[in-house]
Amino acid sequence: MMKGRPVVFVLAMITLAIALLSPLATLARGVLFSAHMLQHLLLVLVVPPLVLLSLPHDPPGETRSGAWLRWIPSWGLGVGAMWLWHTPTLCDAASTSVGMLRAQTVSLLVMGTAFFWPIFGPRAAQRLTTFGAMAYLFTACAVCTVLGIAITFSPVEVCSVFAHPSPARDALGLTAKSDQEIGGLLMWVPGCLIYASCIVAMYGRYARAERLERPRTQGEAR
Amino acid sequence: MTILESPGGTGASDHVPEEHAGEGSGVFGWIATVDHKRLGILYLLTAFFFFGVGGIEALLIRIQLSHPGLKFIGPDTYNQIFTMHGTTMIFLVVMPTLVGFANYLVPLMIGARDMAFPRLNAMSYWLFPFGGLLLHFSLFTGGAPATGWFSYAPLSETPYSSTMGTDYWALALLVLGIGSVAGAINIIVTVVTLRAPGLTIRRLPLFVWMTFITAFLIILALPVLNAALVMLLVDRQLDAHIFTAHGGGSAILWQHFFWTFGHPEVYIMALPAFGMISEIIPVFSRKPIFGYEFVAGSTLAIAVLSFGVWAHHMFAAGLGHRADLAFAAGSMLIAVPTGVKIFNWIATMWGGSLRFTTAMLFAVGFLLEFVIGGLSGVQFASAPVDWQLTDSYYVVAHFHYVLFGGTAFAVMAGTYYWFPKMTGRLLSERAGRWHFWLTVIGFNLTFFVQHLLGKMGMPRRVYTYPDLPNWGALNGLSTIGSFIMAISVVVFFANIVWSLRRGEKAGDNPWQAWTLEWATTSPPAHDNFDRVPPVRGRRPLWDLDDENKEKPTGAITELKTYDPGVVAMWGFIASEAFFFAILIITYVFFNLDKRAAASHLDLKMTGIFTACLFASSFTLVLSERALAAGKNAAMRTWLALTIVLGGVFIGGQANEYRSLIGSGMGASTSLFATTFFTLTGFHGIHVTLGLIALGVLLGLAVAGDFAKKKHSSAFKALGMYWHFVDVVWVVVFSVVYIRSLT
Repeated sequence: MMKGRPVVFVLAMITLAIALLSPLATLARGVLFSAHMLQHLLLVLVVPPLVLLSLPHDPPGETRSGAWLRWIPSWGLGVGAMWLWHTPTLCDAASTSVGMLRAQTVSLLVMGTAFFWPIFGPRAAQRLTTFGAMAYLFTACAVCTVLGIAITFSPVEVCSVFAHPSPARDALGLTAKSDQEIGGLLMWVPGCLIYASCIVAMYGRYARAERLERPRTQGEAR
Repeated sequence: MTILESPGGTGASDHVPEEHAGEGSGVFGWIATVDHKRLGILYLLTAFFFFGVGGIEALLIRIQLSHPGLKFIGPDTYNQIFTMHGTTMIFLVVMPTLVGFANYLVPLMIGARDMAFPRLNAMSYWLFPFGGLLLHFSLFTGGAPATGWFSYAPLSETPYSSTMGTDYWALALLVLGIGSVAGAINIIVTVVTLRAPGLTIRRLPLFVWMTFITAFLIILALPVLNAALVMLLVDRQLDAHIFTAHGGGSAILWQHFFWTFGHPEVYIMALPAFGMISEIIPVFSRKPIFGYEFVAGSTLAIAVLSFGVWAHHMFAAGLGHRADLAFAAGSMLIAVPTGVKIFNWIATMWGGSLRFTTAMLFAVGFLLEFVIGGLSGVQFASAPVDWQLTDSYYVVAHFHYVLFGGTAFAVMAGTYYWFPKMTGRLLSERAGRWHFWLTVIGFNLTFFVQHLLGKMGMPRRVYTYPDLPNWGALNGLSTIGSFIMAISVVVFFANIVWSLRRGEKAGDNPWQAWTLEWATTSPPAHDNFDRVPPVRGRRPLWDLDDENKEKPTGAITELKTYDPGVVAMWGFIASEAFFFAILIITYVFFNLDKRAAASHLDLKMTGIFTACLFASSFTLVLSERALAAGKNAAMRTWLALTIVLGGVFIGGQANEYRSLIGSGMGASTSLFATTFFTLTGFHGIHVTLGLIALGVLLGLAVAGDFAKKKHSSAFKALGMYWHFVDVVWVVVFSVVYIRSLT
């Protein structure tokens, strides 16, 4: 059992605080769509993997290949977190009702954790193989990219709440359309970048596992 | 088979060892070959032929531009020539050259006897000259394509390009694209299933690793182009309006699709070249590569990022300020993993005992020239710089530094490095030095001045220019440079011809290299290896060397085995998924307004046929289970039922088409009709192909020629295909029918 990483946990908590307690949260509540999107991404794509990475881990070990089918639901939850809360009805509801907002926050964290469990989860036996993890992340990235593109270029508002006149938005020199564009681009470019970084991290872990193995095989050779 | 030696008949045939006799020698032996080494050489020779064609086109361009206001070539011909030059160099030279090297080297480097699917390999190769012929056939139909290599709509549409040139361009690229995807799947399966014991992924030679990654880029990026080409052909042949503004289409959509393919394509053309450099520099520095994991990992990073930054090719198209910013940042990021590699190569040379053979000279030349191309590339990531310099000669200079200074230099290095393995003889070092220095001088003279011309505002793709200060002189220099390059190519060619007959005998391992291809004879026997050396690390041949003090410590790991048919089908499915994704996205894009679909489609009827299709997936699973249990009669029954259910679906679709066409709807009546028929039609074609394949299986089963072992892999793979076609229909049915009718 490898030790936990308190620093990573603190980072996760700071990110969580930024998402929920800072002015970002105020802006996300019906003022700026782009702020909402940033909060959304932090809750799904940043906080859960950091929390998982901070937990005490099994040493890297054998993962059963062929067990990928059972991770389809968590893939669906991770991708669904993006699509579900950006259907116009739910997006509006979460921006106006406090109950829905709480439900949204909790569900995003849960869905994000479910998504990253087979990637960064503490149990080696419950992790995808390196290649499986890459395919898992890449397909999720592709689907989120499509949504990001759709939001960026969509002629209709994703959340009509954010289309209301807003002095805060005007003060920033944004229109409802350009605000939504920024939101879509946040999902498209930095969102995808997080998945891409995780893919590279998977290779890093794979390469490191070799170095950990080496002394053992040396012993075997003699 | 008889032994027919015909020295000088084709390329290297006089060096074909006797072992080749098994599959026939002489010209017919080469035509009928399924040997990866011969196919690799065929790829290289054909690509070299087209390199000559594209090179002559380049010289014609340079002659026309050598002097202001020249009338050597008229504007229309000029447009055709630069289009053919670009298309030829990218699709008929760079890609096939890299595939050729991959074909020749990957099985040797992983200790395999051949590619996983030798006959598929031969098909991939023969699609390449066929595609080249199709492209050039356009000359006999009223003119070559004249719309540039990225063929922007609406210029590529019938009203603006009325000859058949663009149609042949699209058809040729489709054919080449299919060949590339098949070849890439073959490479993936080969690397996954045929590695020698001990050769784990972490020990792969970097050339194999980078080719492997490139193969993934090919299977995911090429189908995007293929889908776009299909839609362009629908526009041109069936008078539809997907990419033309009149009729409601969108020209910018073509740009998005093209560059979604086009940016990964840049790395498809660069990564295998990086792989060659990563093999050559360590060998001639007598040092292992510095930071293997970083070179390998950064390749992965480049590959993943390459799918997310295509919009930087479209800064001038007006995506909006915010999109430009996001993509400028994203594009600059991709320079980081590329820069990492440059430093790794330099660090590998640092403190090594360098041997400046011609191969090494070209590798070092690559480093310098590619950095120049990379630096001008980073500038284009900045949107304001891009606005200023796009479509100027600065772009021309940039991508020639990347593709010639980068890829072509690496390929030259690779040729000098691996020629002895392919032919048994070394290329002449003396001629090689002439070749190298003429290339360096000619190349930099041609293209460096084009940076200046670009900054002075000279536009690309214009057949002549006014007599502005210095323009004539700089263009003249560039033309002189291009002729020096032409001489260098002649020297190269002469060197190959001379060395094939008189070159110094190479022996197995002339460079004291350490990857597996040097463990066998030069040229390798038909089956490549008598015995594959044990692989305990990244440099198996070093480990064999008695002088080597650092004895190998790694274990000869037993590798996991995979079913080649299943791996291949996964690759094919991934590729097809991207193809259908583009068609589905296009459908949704043009049918945000659901009324057209609602007024034409019948949910209930289609729902019934859809149920049949879904049921057929279950019957196929039951059939597969029966096969596994050895119940042949049950297997045949379920299989037959699957075919019937699939047939009912196709019948239902045909009936739907009949009633829609009866009500006056045609492929070009509206964008709804165009996108509906394109999407469901392609799905229907896939179902039909699946039915034919299932029919073949059933035929074999009924004829009794169905040993469980022999066919269970094919059965499994076909089953995967059939389920995939069903899953596509789940999406199509939801998006097209359920979405608009509820």
